[in-house]
Amino acid sequence: MGDAALRYAGVSLGYHGTPVLTDVELTLAGGQRLALVGPNGAGKSTLIKSVLGLVPVLGGTATVLGGAPAGARHRTGYVPQTGSLDADFPVTAAQVVMMGRYRRIGWWRPTRAVDRRAVREALDRVGLADRAGTHFGILSGGQRQRVLLARALAAEPELLLLDEPFNGVDAVSQEAVVRVLRELGAAGTALVLSTHDLTVARELADQVCLLNGRQWAIGPPAAALTGDILRRAYGGHAVDVGDGRTVLVEP
Amino acid sequence: MNWWDDALHRATAEVVLVGALAGLIGVQVVLRRLSFFTMALTHATFPGVVAAAIIGVNIYLGGVAAGAIIALGVAALGRRAGQNAAAATGVMIAGGFALGAGLVATQSGFSRDLSSFLVGSILTVSPRDLLVTAVALVVVAAILLAGARPLLHTGFDPAGARAAGFAAGRWDIVLLLTIEVVVVTVVPAVGTILALALVVAPAAAARLWSARLSVITALAVTFGVLSGLGGLYASSRWNVAAGASITLTATAILALSTVLSRVVRGRGPASLGSPAAPA
Repeated sequence: MGDAALRYAGVSLGYHGTPVLTDVELTLAGGQRLALVGPNGAGKSTLIKSVLGLVPVLGGTATVLGGAPAGARHRTGYVPQTGSLDADFPVTAAQVVMMGRYRRIGWWRPTRAVDRRAVREALDRVGLADRAGTHFGILSGGQRQRVLLARALAAEPELLLLDEPFNGVDAVSQEAVVRVLRELGAAGTALVLSTHDLTVARELADQVCLLNGRQWAIGPPAAALTGDILRRAYGGHAVDVGDGRTVLVEP
Repeated sequence: MNWWDDALHRATAEVVLVGALAGLIGVQVVLRRLSFFTMALTHATFPGVVAAAIIGVNIYLGGVAAGAIIALGVAALGRRAGQNAAAATGVMIAGGFALGAGLVATQSGFSRDLSSFLVGSILTVSPRDLLVTAVALVVVAAILLAGARPLLHTGFDPAGARAAGFAAGRWDIVLLLTIEVVVVTVVPAVGTILALALVVAPAAAARLWSARLSVITALAVTFGVLSGLGGLYASSRWNVAAGASITLTATAILALSTVLSRVVRGRGPASLGSPAAPA
C-alpha cells in the first residue's frame, strides 16, 4: 500500500473551536512505531482521538490510511487507558477480546468459528490464553492492559493506537506488551503510542513526537529527545542526570 | 366463565409479565448505575400519568411523554462535561412529585385514585393492561437482544466503543427510552413510585450471585417474577396493598442475597468477581 498510515500537515486540534494542540506535522509509514511524548494535558490523547475522528481538525489536513480519519475507524485499532473502563462490568476476558470482532460480525449475527479462533489466538499472543474465562474485573492492571491489546489484535488493524499502555503495568505485562508491539511493527502494522516515560519512547519508537500544547519536535528518539528540546518543551521540569540523559520531574 | 374474567388470574399474569420485564431492564439499570436516573423517571412519570387521567387521554401516553422529556434531558445533561447531573436529577425528582401532587389537588374528588398511581392497583388490572405489558415485554426483550453487543461494548468501555464506530450517545438514548417504557408499563401493577424497587432490586440481587451477564439476566428475571408472585400471595393472604407487598418482597430478596451471597462466597472460590454496588 502506497499510502502512509498517518499524514498530518499543519494540523490544529481542539474542542468547540478552541485549539488545544497546534502545529502537528508528521508522517508515519506502515510498520513504523511513533511515540507521543509530553506531560499530562500536553495533547497526547487529543492527537490519538483525532486519528479516530473523535476530535475535530480545526486547521491543516489530517489523513489516516489514505482518507478522512472517521472513515478509517474499521481499519484502526484503539487501546484505551484501563482507567476509563468499568471494571465492575460482568464481562470475561474472552468477551472483551470478542468486542474487537464486533465490527466484522455485526450486531446480531452469531459469532463464527473464525471469530472464536481470532479471540483465542489474540489472548495467546499476550500470554493470557489460560484466563479467557476470567472476569475482567479481577485481573491485575497489567493483565487488563494485555486483554485490551488482545482485543485490538483480534480486530486485525492496519494502524494501532495505544493510550498510555504502560501506566500502572507490572514488569511481566510490560515485557509482553513490548514484545507484541515489536512483532506488530515487523508485520507491517503502524503503531502510535502515548507515554510520559522517556525510556519507553527511546527503546520502542522509531519516531518520537514531543508535544506540549503544540508539537515541539519530531524525529528519531536521539534527535527529538535532547535535553535542550525537552527543557524548552517542559519548562523547568526536565533535569539532566548526567551521561547525556534527561528525566522529567513532575512539578 | 373465561379464565381472564377472574381479577386474581389477571393479577397473577400481570405480576409474572411485569416481574420479567422489570428484571430484564433492571440488569442494564444496575450495571450502568442508572438507579438514580430511573428514580427521576418514575417521579416524572407520576405527573404525566395524573395529567393524562385529568384530560382523559391514555395514561401510558402521558407517562411516556413526561418520562421521555426527562430521559432526553438527562441524556443532554450527561453530554455536557462539568454539569452537575446528579443535582439536576435530584431536583427533577422532587419537582416531578410536587407537580403530580399539585395536579391531583386541583381536582376535587380525585384524591381517591392518587394511591393507585403512586403504588399501583394490581386487582383492577384490565385485559388491555395485560396486553400492553405482554407487548412491552416482547419489544424490550427484542431491543435488548438486538442491541446486546453495542450495549455491552458502550456500557463497559464507552471510549473504546466510540473508537470502534459505535454511536455510544445514540445507544444511551435508546436505553433511557426503553427504561421509560418499562417504568410506564409497570405503573398499573406497582405504581410510579414503587416501580424503582421492582426494576433495581431483582437485578442488584442477581449481580451479587454472578459475574456472568447471561446468569445475571436469568436470575434477575426469576427474582422479578418471584417478587411479583410472592407479593401477590402475601397481599391476598394478609390483605395488604399488593404494590407494597411486591416491593417488600423484592427488597427482601435483595437483603437475603446480600447476606447469603457473602456467606457462600466466604466458603467457595472467589470467582464471583467484585459485585457492583446496588446504588
